[in-house]
Parts: sequence; structure tokens; C-alpha cells
Amino acid sequence: MKASGKILLVDDDPDFLEMHKAVLQNHGYDVLTATSGQEGLERVRAEIPALIILDLMMEKHDAGFSFSKTVKTDPLFRKIPILMVTSVAEATGFRFSLEDDGYWMKTDDFLDKPVMPEVLLERVDKLLRKRE
Amino acid sequence: MNTPANILVVDDEMGIREGCRRVLAEEGYDIDLAEDGTIGLQRVREKAYDLILVDLMMPGIGGLDLIKRIHEIDPEIILVVITGYATIETAVEATKRGAYDYLPKPFTPEALTVLVRRGIEKRELRLEAQRLYHEREQRLLELAGEKSRLRSIIGCMTDGVLVTNMQRQLVLWNAAAVKMLRLSGTDEPGRLMDHCLKNRALVESLDRILGSQDESFSMIGQEIQTDNPKSVLMAQMAPVRDEQGRLLGAVTVIRDITKLKEIETIKSQFVSMVAHELRSPLAAIEGWLGVVLSGEAGDEEQRRKWLLRAKERANSLLALVQDLLEINKMEAGKVAQKMEAVQLTDLVGKIVEFFKPEAERQHVLLEMKPSVPLPAIQADVRDMEKLFTNLVSNAIKYNVENGSITIETSLDAHFVGIHIRDTGVGIAPADLPRIFEDFFRVETKRTNKISGTGLGLTIAKKIVDSHFGHIEVESQPDRGSTFSVYLPYKK
Repeated sequence: MKASGKILLVDDDPDFLEMHKAVLQNHGYDVLTATSGQEGLERVRAEIPALIILDLMMEKHDAGFSFSKTVKTDPLFRKIPILMVTSVAEATGFRFSLEDDGYWMKTDDFLDKPVMPEVLLERVDKLLRKRE
Repeated sequence: MNTPANILVVDDEMGIREGCRRVLAEEGYDIDLAEDGTIGLQRVREKAYDLILVDLMMPGIGGLDLIKRIHEIDPEIILVVITGYATIETAVEATKRGAYDYLPKPFTPEALTVLVRRGIEKRELRLEAQRLYHEREQRLLELAGEKSRLRSIIGCMTDGVLVTNMQRQLVLWNAAAVKMLRLSGTDEPGRLMDHCLKNRALVESLDRILGSQDESFSMIGQEIQTDNPKSVLMAQMAPVRDEQGRLLGAVTVIRDITKLKEIETIKSQFVSMVAHELRSPLAAIEGWLGVVLSGEAGDEEQRRKWLLRAKERANSLLALVQDLLEINKMEAGKVAQKMEAVQLTDLVGKIVEFFKPEAERQHVLLEMKPSVPLPAIQADVRDMEKLFTNLVSNAIKYNVENGSITIETSLDAHFVGIHIRDTGVGIAPADLPRIFEDFFRVETKRTNKISGTGLGLTIAKKIVDSHFGHIEVESQPDRGSTFSVYLPYKK
């Protein structure tokens, strides 16, 4: 039985947006998209998605952080799980782990880009079930 | 003395001359004879004698006079006076004039040989003393020369040099050291190094060397930060030892590596930026291949569409690598510019023709409107083509539907100007100063779908700089931008 709900994709790379959207739609999810943090927040407020998949590196380098902080400190939205997808790790010398950075990053899980379809589906499913 | 001593006998009495010769030749000396003062002087001028026997009473030049004149030629010749008037006065007079001793007539062969042997020994001693004196003079001169040479060499070194003795005083330093370490109080001799050297780390290291008992201790290499001026110095410190290995002090050589450090930082920033820029398209390509391989595509058409997306990103990756290679070549100065007369109006006109179809597809009007005829400039044709291709292609890419691009010309006393005026999305004032930076791309909603390497304007600027020109940009968001290239020409 598939977990239900809309998934919001926030990514400034049109390729990843389209790719992830196609995979998720193939597997029966409703998908919303946004290409910036600002647009993403508008979508969150209007549609209250069940899950957010977020790319860290958007128009500004810390856009992903401030986006997740805004969502996670808002009582209305803080239960929405956020899956952080990033290609930033090596380029900036950051190395993320949920143990060290999970608290202030305020995301529920994260993956390195590119994400293979099976992995993406498995994580999405897990996060949605956990919520229920 | 290994060679036999040369002895001259000057006497007007033949008996004395021959007698002397017989006696002295037996002793192994070389003997010459002269029957008067004039001939004697001539001999002295021709040959170096060690000892001369002079008769005081001779016709012509007298003995006393002869002594004086011989000593004018060589003051070290031993003169022994032979005299028939063995009075104290003549002897004292002769000695006053520089004679070594006197021999009263008549004399025995033994008395002669003893006196001559003593005189020759005296001569040897005098020569040895003279040699030592010259040697010492020479050494002192060399030493002074060595010292001033050392100071000159150290003085003109660009690396700082600093020598401290065991009493922790500065004994030698150069201008570079004064400048790099801000040495102060060096004109007060005998002050401790702490007084002149403000850098604690350096003083501590020097103390470690001066306090070290370990004879095998060889060198400390240390990076030192200074605040005023802000710089990074590399200091090599080593003990100075005498020939027995005893510690005499410490020498410090300092090199300013601030620039190297900066280059290192810029380089590593550039590498991490390039790595990121390469990773983005590669990740997208891998992502597309991943969804195709996982069989996510519903049909053949979708699969094909996705593979085409991967191909597009591969193309942009290729373009990026191409641009990077181009920049690298330019920076390494490997591109030999072939300067020739270039008519810019014609060259830009051809580029405009080339881009017309592309502009039409984007519904942009691309026009060449040369306001003034331009003289030919000296430039590299390939560079000029790349420069204006980048600028025109940008003007199309960042334009709006039904927009236009107008290319105009201008001319002043030294520069020709080409102005590419577009009605595109424009550049926000905050972004303007950054547009020539590596990988900088203006990001707005409207530029999101435009592909580019972020290196086009970097390359354009490098080309203009290498032709001693300048590039300027004026822009207003949503109104458009004008890129102006100014290149020098010869009248």
C-alpha cells in the first residue's frame, strides 16, 4: 500500500527537477515543483505537501539551510519531513552527517546527487511512512 | 737560503779583492768584484746582492757615500765596511749610515767568514721579516675585502639575512631583513635581539638554537606571520659554528612568501570551484542515465527524450572544459598572438551574419549600425572572433522575446569602440562588479533556463586585456545592457 500525499521538489537545476518528478510520478506520487527557495515556501504555504525534497545549493549558497529552517520553525509545517539532496559536499569541503549537523540543518534525511531512482523511492517511502 | 748568497766586494786594492774572493768562494758563496764605487753601484743595479763588502777609502765615490747610495737601491742589503782606519769614529759613522758591521784591516780569513756568515744570517732574517710583513698586509687587505664583499652580497639580497651572536646581539643584517621584520634600534650597537626583533616566535626559535647543546642540531624552518605589513614569512634558522664545531651564533634567512600563499589560496579556490562546476553536469548526466537504466521511462519516446537531455548536459560540460583549457592557455601565456591589421567593422559584421538565424529563432532583431568608420587595429583575428562571438551570443541568450541587439561603433584619439546594445534582462547593480569573475552567472528566474559556462565574459576580458584595451558594461535590470569594447589603434 503506497503512502499518499503530494511531494514538493525544490531544485534550481531543471534536469533534476524533471528527472525526480518523472520517477516519482511513475510511482504514483503527486508532484509539485519549485525552482527557488522563495517559490518553494509559497508552495509549502499554499499546498502543505507531505514531503519536501530540497537541493541545498540554490540561488544563494545558504538558501537550502534558510529554507529548511523556516519550514522547521513554523508550527504549521514543522512536521513535514525534508529530504535534502545535495551535490555540495565535496566542492565546499563540507561533510554532512545527521549526527553532527542534523540539529541545525533541521532536515530529516539527506542524499548525495545524483540519486538513483530505487534509492529515491525507498527514502521517500520510508519518510512518508514514518510520518504516518 | 737554498741558492748560494750573492756577495759583492768593492775595494780598490786588488789584493784584498782577490783574497776575499778566495776565502768566500771556498765557503760556497757567489762572488763578484768591483774596483771602485762607480762599478760597484752599476753591479748593484744589475744584480740582487745579499751582502756587500765596501772599502771605506776609495778614489771616486767614497765608502760612506756608496753605503748611502746602495741603500737607496735596496735598504735590506747587508753592508760590511772594510777599513784601514780602525777607529771608533769611522765605525760609528759607517753604522750610522746603515752599515751592518765593520772589519778592520788587516783581517784574518776566519774573521771574514765569521762576519760574512753572520751578515748573511741577518740578511735572511730581514728577508723573512719582510715577507711576513707583506703577507700580513695582504691578509688584512683580503680580510677587509672579504668583509666588504660579504656585506655587499648580503646587502643586495632580496631575502632577509640576520646573524646573532652568543650574547644574543644582532651582529649582521641586511635591508631586506629590516623591512620584512620591521627591525628597530639596529643603530644602537650591542642591544639584545629582543630589542630589535618584535617577533616573539622568531626570538624563541633563535634562543632554542643558541641554547642548544646538541652538536648535530642543524636547522629550524618556520612560517612566521607579521601584522604590519600583513605578510607570511618563511624563516630558516641555523647555528653558526667555528672549525671545532663550537657554537658562535645563529643565522636567519627570511623569505617573504605572502604572494605564494595568496596564489595557493586562489588556486585551491579555483580548483574547488571547477570541481563543483564539473560535478553539476556530470551528476545530471548520471541521473538521466540512471532513470533510463532503471526502466523508469514509459516508452521509447520518453527514453529518447531523457537521453537527449543527458547529451545536452554532456555538450555543456564539453564547452566548459573547452573554456577552461582556453583560459589556462591564456594564463600560461601559451597562446602566441598573431597580430595583424584587423578591420573590426568587417569582422563583427561577419559574426552578426552568422548569428542572424539564431537571433531569428529567439525572435530577436540583430542589427549592425556602424556610427563611424573605424581604422584597422593590430589584433589577433582568432581572439577578436572569440571576443565578439561571446558578446553577441550573450546578447541573444539574455535577451527577451521581440527584443533587439544593436551594434554601434565609436572613435576617439586612441581607441576604437564597439558597443553591443541589447534590450535584454539586464544586470542588477549588485551583480555588475562580479560579471567578469570566473564562473559568475547572473541568476534570476529568467536566466535560469539559459545554459552557459560562466566563463564567457572572463575569456572576453582576458582577450581585451591582452590587447591593451578595456571592456565596460552599463546595464539596467529589465531594460538591457550595453557592453563596450575599447581597443587601441595607431594613427
